[in-house]
Amino acid sequence: MDLFFQQVLNGLTLGSIYGLVALGLTLVYGILHVPNFAHGAIYMVGAYVSYLTMVDLGYNYWVAMACAAAAVAALSVLCERLVFNPLRDAPPIHDKIAAIGIMMFLEAAVQMQWGAEFRRMPTPYTDIFNIAGLTIPAQRVLIIMGAFSLMAVLHLFLKKTMTGATIVAMAQNREGAFLVGIDANRVAMMTFAISGALAAVGATLFAPINLVYPSMGHLLIMKAFVIIILGGMGSIPGAIVGGLIIGFTEAFGGFYISTDYKDIIAFALLVVILSVKPTGLFTKGVR
Amino acid sequence: MTSNTTIKGLFRRLACAGAIALAAGQALANETLNIGFTGPLSGGAALYGENTLHGLQMAADEINDNGGFAVGNETYDIKIVSLDDKYSPSLAAVNGKRLVQQYRTPVIFTPHSGGTFALQAFNERDNFLLMSYTSVPTVTEKGNKLTVRIPPTFTGYLKPFTKIAMDRFGKKLGIANATHDYAKYWTKTFVPVWEAAGGTVVADNPMDYNKSADFYTGVSKVLAAKPDVLFIGGASEPTGLVARQARELGFKGGFVIMDQAKIGEMAKVAGGLKALEGSVGVVPLVDYHTPGSDAFVAKYEKANDGAAPTSEVAFNYFGLYATVAAMQAAGSVDDAGKIRAAMAKGLTTLSAEHNPYGVETIDDKGGMVVDPNIAVVENGKIKIESLSEVMAD
Repeated sequence: MDLFFQQVLNGLTLGSIYGLVALGLTLVYGILHVPNFAHGAIYMVGAYVSYLTMVDLGYNYWVAMACAAAAVAALSVLCERLVFNPLRDAPPIHDKIAAIGIMMFLEAAVQMQWGAEFRRMPTPYTDIFNIAGLTIPAQRVLIIMGAFSLMAVLHLFLKKTMTGATIVAMAQNREGAFLVGIDANRVAMMTFAISGALAAVGATLFAPINLVYPSMGHLLIMKAFVIIILGGMGSIPGAIVGGLIIGFTEAFGGFYISTDYKDIIAFALLVVILSVKPTGLFTKGVR
Repeated sequence: MTSNTTIKGLFRRLACAGAIALAAGQALANETLNIGFTGPLSGGAALYGENTLHGLQMAADEINDNGGFAVGNETYDIKIVSLDDKYSPSLAAVNGKRLVQQYRTPVIFTPHSGGTFALQAFNERDNFLLMSYTSVPTVTEKGNKLTVRIPPTFTGYLKPFTKIAMDRFGKKLGIANATHDYAKYWTKTFVPVWEAAGGTVVADNPMDYNKSADFYTGVSKVLAAKPDVLFIGGASEPTGLVARQARELGFKGGFVIMDQAKIGEMAKVAGGLKALEGSVGVVPLVDYHTPGSDAFVAKYEKANDGAAPTSEVAFNYFGLYATVAAMQAAGSVDDAGKIRAAMAKGLTTLSAEHNPYGVETIDDKGGMVVDPNIAVVENGKIKIESLSEVMAD
């Protein structure tokens, strides 16, 4: 039974990080209407900013997280202004190519500046709780709590504030949003900023139990794509539920069937869900 | 159109001047000898590839700074031509063709077995010497006449690793190493040795070290079978992470570490040598303490802000010096057959500081011969034993 609950914990840890990254991806999808392939690289930059603020500048974990969120939000806005905004009237394929270009640029730039080596980010929360045979490292608790509270805050922001409502309106119907006088530029920049900040916080939460290196984004971005397809492109509950589904599938599939096959299990599940509900679990008006 | 012709004329004159300057420069300077390299310089294995390339570059820079090397009446400077193959054998083959045809490289270095096998398909026909940095024994056992395997094969480690781990911790082995070809090959050769010594394999659960976001699931699956010893290994840092998570999940036994991972680098990630108590693996060069290794380590640390050299750097550094020594012994820089044949003779002329691992000679098939040391972590410290000593007990 211990082992079962251990897998529940693993599934929650993975699922909450996947969900957080997928959330950023799904939000930007509402603006771009194409998946932002650069999101994984943005996540990676977030991890590097936190790492450097903590290790090289010696600030504490939370300051580093805030710095990373701010820096990456700025970087995302910059991408929007310099790349995606000028392309807003171009065919969607241009956005895709531009996103891939940004991804390659960021990875190459980081590798050139800081090298390809693996780095380990320290965390102040190194305690390991052992409760009834269950191993619970403090950092993992932090990941789960941090991710879920961030999701809750985001939900409240989108549903309860006027600024949040403009983002939702824009994602649901672009022309309609223009007609009621929503400033598209402002909303686009804000969405990119939120998406970048989410990725940076996710990276800072997750990096201490993993490693920091230039291609670290690939791992999560593949999963995040699966998640937003699974949950429905542009759907926020879809990203969260999708993240948890993939997280639990990996944990339980990996444990009870085979670690080698955990990705296959996740993709098989995707096929099953899409054949039952081709638009994803939670799709609304957004295409 | 007059302006156009003047510009054209200007270009022509400039080009002429440039060509003359170039020709004059060449007459005074050494000949340039291109040496090829194909390895992973981007993607997950980029660090590994860069380290191997760094070793070659370091040796080349030293040789060039000392005025090049003489073969016959000519003096040569070395230029390393490096191409990225992203760890893919097919790209390595494409790069190999390009290096030979475009850059006329008589020697090509590659740091992976897949690339080696791909290049072996045409190296004898295209007449280039393949310097392979991999410890997979089959790269030299297939009878390719122009292949040199730079490090010792890993098969020598299997018995002593088994003996040390089994004596201290017990006979139940859990397999949790990586899933790439090299790791699979290790598992396939290691398991029979472990079983022949009376051990059993209680869990077999390799994990993709490069594509897993987290190892908790995989590691807890292996630990559920209650192994005494875990067999782990892939790139050093993820391997350290696997060891760390195994300890977090309550594992008290020992680790047998595949030779790709280095204990010193693992310790940084795993949380110090204490977490690796009871590990057996290959020795970090900094702990060798032979005259050759000390000289090399000191030189490397001075040039790299105190960073310790990895075995990738050291073996490839040695590999280039060995190649140059062989060229000098053969009296040829482009006849791959002659260079290969003169390799043993060349090795005898190599000075200790260019041979940090103390490679003694090369066997008929092209494998470098060395009595490697192995590292055991005991009471939070690395203890060094040579292979021959362990087996003599």
